[in-house]
Amino acid sequence: MRANWGLILVPSFLIGMIMLIFPQAVFLRASFFEDIGLGLLGNTFNIANYVIAFTDPYYTDALKLNFFLSTTVVFLTIAVSFPVAYTIARMTPKWAMLILAAIVVSAFVSVAIKVLGIIILFGGDGALVVTLKRLGIIGDGFAVIGTLPGVIIGLTHLGISFMVLMLFSVIQTVPRSLEEAAEIHGAARWRVYWRVIIPLSLPGLISTSLLLFNIIMGAFVSALVLGGGKILTFPVLIQQSLLIHLEYGMSATLSSMLLIFVLSINVVSVFLVTRIRAARLAVT
Amino acid sequence: MTEQQSAIPTSPRPRTLNGYDRLMRRFDARRIRRVCALTWLWIVVAAIYAPILVVIGASVDPGEDVAGMRAFLVFPPRGFSLEWYFNIHPRLWHGLWVSISMATVSCAFGLLLGVPAALGLIRGNFPGKIVLGTLFRAPLQMPFIVIGVAFLQGYYAIGNMFGIQIVATFTGLVIGHVFVATPYVVAAVGVQLQRFNPAMEEAALIHGASRWSTFRRITVPIIMPGIYAGGLYAFLVSFADVTISLFLSGPNATPFPVMVLFSIEEDFEPTIPAMATIVFFGSLVLLLIVQRLVGLNVLLRGGGSNA
Repeated sequence: MRANWGLILVPSFLIGMIMLIFPQAVFLRASFFEDIGLGLLGNTFNIANYVIAFTDPYYTDALKLNFFLSTTVVFLTIAVSFPVAYTIARMTPKWAMLILAAIVVSAFVSVAIKVLGIIILFGGDGALVVTLKRLGIIGDGFAVIGTLPGVIIGLTHLGISFMVLMLFSVIQTVPRSLEEAAEIHGAARWRVYWRVIIPLSLPGLISTSLLLFNIIMGAFVSALVLGGGKILTFPVLIQQSLLIHLEYGMSATLSSMLLIFVLSINVVSVFLVTRIRAARLAVT
Repeated sequence: MTEQQSAIPTSPRPRTLNGYDRLMRRFDARRIRRVCALTWLWIVVAAIYAPILVVIGASVDPGEDVAGMRAFLVFPPRGFSLEWYFNIHPRLWHGLWVSISMATVSCAFGLLLGVPAALGLIRGNFPGKIVLGTLFRAPLQMPFIVIGVAFLQGYYAIGNMFGIQIVATFTGLVIGHVFVATPYVVAAVGVQLQRFNPAMEEAALIHGASRWSTFRRITVPIIMPGIYAGGLYAFLVSFADVTISLFLSGPNATPFPVMVLFSIEEDFEPTIPAMATIVFFGSLVLLLIVQRLVGLNVLLRGGGSNA
């Protein structure tokens, strides 16, 4: 009788596997053929694309920049979102649901629209920039669009609502009684955070951060638009090589590099986390 | 000390707190923390909404002629006019139609694939379950841009091998989105299934219910919140996506967000803020309806934890 439940997933599994394996196989194969222009591929199987991608600083710098950007954004997002998620998790359910619902509604709005909003908000004639200039906080050469901070602002904005929603459900599972117990025993507030709340939400925090890292590594709308074509992250290079230069081989090579990079970072962090947890258990 | 204080009354009402005490009570550590936490919360919520409010502002800005150009992309708006709303470009309406139908179809297929998968993965008992679960979750680990590139090249290959053209078609868009939407359904339904005791199904069977009626009357009601949550997330991922759509869309199948991106990059279509505002309030109404039907707390609990 139990075996039936296993059989029920066979159709989904087959369709899912075709969708997973076929496109990947096609593009991985394409990554081993050189581009000969006009969207055509050469017919010799070689690793020339990979040699170029790993040696040309144009590509390696983009990957480094992408990694730097994603880690910065993930840490910034955690710093901004953790206190917010904590506050919501400890509010009365009615208010908590209202605020969470507001955040979900904002998720319906596409990145493209939000990026447009950020462009208008930081535009040279906008109230924000004019006020800041008048107060002397920023100089005349101030610009957000087309700079690295601009891209970081855009990507962090993208991450915050995701992070708050995810961390809310994580922090909610930390019983309030544990915090009170720590406080009754004389722990200062920061100590309650450091020794109770953060350790207990760490597994959820790490898995959410990895998910966000994957999203940011592949996010390219903010990088393309807020970077103004000047901040060349890896996804921007992939998009340009495929949709503008029609280099099917090279774009496939770059995509597979990004994929392998992201997957290995995921595997390494999961491995490290289990090691740390095991070590901690051994100590205590 | 205390005797001295009571002997010399310093104020007509000795029990009243003096200014210092009152200050301390108002600013005790707990209260400061609370105020700080709430202030930070509202700052962040305001920051989340700032770009959206700015776009809504731009949608009612009548615009001003600057050097022969209609300049209206400034915040705050310099006036109020609904002019843009009456002149929305027909192309944008078509884009919205593509977006809605694409998200609906992707959500439906995501549920069709995801619900049985979740049932099998949680209730099933077979070797390799963990590997299978990882494979079902694989799309969540892949950067969207890689998915876009892979599917586009996959479609070209299908075109070359079988002569079926799905590059730049609605079908192609939907297939790509079903791929990323399904894991969300699997996660949301899976969470719901893990919560309840399989003994409930067994009890129904023992009491003579048929396999089908057990499924219909016990299992389905239990996973329903997961289905709603997973379905909503699947719809959302498809509806708001730009990256995958950019690679798979074509002249007759361009979702609204991709139009916005093209418009920002190339020549700007001035009715886009108006359309974006309509989309925003439309989603708000949709969410209110969902809230009335099932309650948002169910959605947030079911989808938030694993999706």
